[in-house]
Amino acid sequence: MYEHLAVAIGGILHLKYLMPLLAGTFAGLIGGALPGVTITMTIIMVLPFTFGLDPLQGLAAMTGVYVGGSAGGAITAALIGIPGTPSAITTTFDGFPMTQKGQPGRAVWLGLWSSFFGGLLAGVFLIGATGQLAAIALQFGPWEYFSLFIFALSMVVGLTEGSIVKGLLSGTLGLVITIVGSDPVMSIPRFTMGSDFLRSGFAFLPVLIGIFAFAQLMTDIEKIGQKTEVLTPIKTPSLTVSHLKVIWEILSRPFLLLWTTLVGIVIGVLPAIGGSAATVMAYDQAKKISKHPERFGKGNPEGIIASEASCNANVGGSLVTILAFGIPGDAVTAVMLGAMTIHGIQSGPLFMTQEPALAYGIFAAYLVAHPLMILLMLVTSRFFLRVITVPKSVLIPIVLVLCMVGAFALNNIVSDVWVLLIFGVVGYGLVKFRFPLAPLILGLILGDQIEVNLVRALMTDSNPWLFFTHPISGALLGLSVASVVFALWQHHRHKKRNAPAEEEEDVDF
Amino acid sequence: MRLSRDSAAGVICLALSLSMLYLTRGLPQSALVPIGPDFYPRIVLGITAFLSALLIVMDALSMRRKGGITETAPAPQAAAPRNYKLVVLTFIVFGLYVALLPWLGYRISTFLFVATLQPLLERPKSLRGWIIVLVIAAATALVTFIVFEDYLQVLLPRGTLTGN
Repeated sequence: MYEHLAVAIGGILHLKYLMPLLAGTFAGLIGGALPGVTITMTIIMVLPFTFGLDPLQGLAAMTGVYVGGSAGGAITAALIGIPGTPSAITTTFDGFPMTQKGQPGRAVWLGLWSSFFGGLLAGVFLIGATGQLAAIALQFGPWEYFSLFIFALSMVVGLTEGSIVKGLLSGTLGLVITIVGSDPVMSIPRFTMGSDFLRSGFAFLPVLIGIFAFAQLMTDIEKIGQKTEVLTPIKTPSLTVSHLKVIWEILSRPFLLLWTTLVGIVIGVLPAIGGSAATVMAYDQAKKISKHPERFGKGNPEGIIASEASCNANVGGSLVTILAFGIPGDAVTAVMLGAMTIHGIQSGPLFMTQEPALAYGIFAAYLVAHPLMILLMLVTSRFFLRVITVPKSVLIPIVLVLCMVGAFALNNIVSDVWVLLIFGVVGYGLVKFRFPLAPLILGLILGDQIEVNLVRALMTDSNPWLFFTHPISGALLGLSVASVVFALWQHHRHKKRNAPAEEEEDVDF
Repeated sequence: MRLSRDSAAGVICLALSLSMLYLTRGLPQSALVPIGPDFYPRIVLGITAFLSALLIVMDALSMRRKGGITETAPAPQAAAPRNYKLVVLTFIVFGLYVALLPWLGYRISTFLFVATLQPLLERPKSLRGWIIVLVIAAATALVTFIVFEDYLQVLLPRGTLTGN
């Protein structure tokens, strides 16, 4: 295993792979740092640039975006008190107060170095566990796969804020999109209205970009002209700091680092929970185990370490689930999975054995992206605040152009760009009706696989009870029901405690 | 009677799922395969229809509990007004962009799109501002074209009128 890894690291350090990785990490850092531009959005923007690259080059760039984006959120969180990504929200709790105390460099670098250590520790898990979990997944038949996908869908539905029914409905709407096109058994066209274009169904990428990008951009556009309270950033902050001191501040708290990293990994591995939940849980854990919980929220380094270490550890955990099972952990990993599909990679249990060079290449890219992220910040930190204050009026048209390119370049047809626009309207409409988007995306990704495995299982043996009597399948279906019931109970309890607040809220992308 | 947000969403989803369920009736069956092409869609659409109906019923019950207080009731703290007009305009401009792509090609359409949308989102206050808008539009069209076509071998739309 380590031989493969050493070879892969050597390979990724070649300029051919290092350049896309470097560019991806840099794009991730900027996208992660830009408030309002999420990691999902950054991956969507970078994706068309990777179309012409070979699979490992493309995936190295994507991995770089994911790693850089997860760390980049900490920069604005610490400097201006606005999280660049939703998962960096907990970094604002202590990062911004530390900046206000006149230590912006310490706040930013504590975040970045914690991301570095958390991410690398998760890398050890990623490399060690992916093969093992994939070996377990190899024992799965269609019954187990069907139940696993249902479990992933139920998890994401259960974790949605607001109405559970809307979460479930959002998931099934994702499945509805996938039934358009030829059926997987006899290739009989369904709901195509006689259109040849629709015979192969809606291409995944234009739908995904349309729903996510437009939902987010249009929500930003509708706020243009609003008078919002702007937190004044400190003028030309000096991020100069003694790196040895910062590293020591982190490593002198080994239990905190390891524990919050573990929280990030576990949340990452579990399908559909996502980075925001990981950082909130890690922050909460750090507060509980701290000798001075009263210092949290006032510029406590422990808060920043917990938040950022868990955030990047979550990336490693999510990658395990994608690579071993082919299931995305959240919206970001859903897009990552889509990116892998675009590059002709079928992730899942066979991936490690059939494509070891690519699998270890991804591991290597993940590991190398961390020091690159630190290096890039060392070189470019001075210019960062200038970059992240690019006006929305400039950013939005350019992002829309990149979305168009991403949709068009997939098959080189303008019809895909119309699909992008139609699903852009659908995505924005869903946000306005307060539907969570994550279940829809998961339904969209898993829909075909759910159908194929359901049909395959029933054609092997028409007894539907086998889904419940196969031990793993039965357990997964039981867990699916339990997760929805638990979510219902939690929502009921939450409703009882809090008066309903029907204000216009923004959806977490 | 005005529908609340959830009920309206439920009605739309119910209409969609029922109309698609109706369309499954015309799907041909195969004598070779016991599971037809309508099997899975009917399950998915059936669940969607059920959940849509559930959403409508739950919303109606919730309204009744609140004693008829609808979302139109004044909120305790007025939210800042949203610029929906700008959203609609952006969709229209993007739609025009997509429509023009096959005629004018990538470079000209992209230049026009960026040059139109930028001032729509934030109107320049001086001549210098307008020049910056045009420079950004031209740079976006040209730089992305060069990067994608020349360096990344990604084909971009060609225009039938302009030939490029």
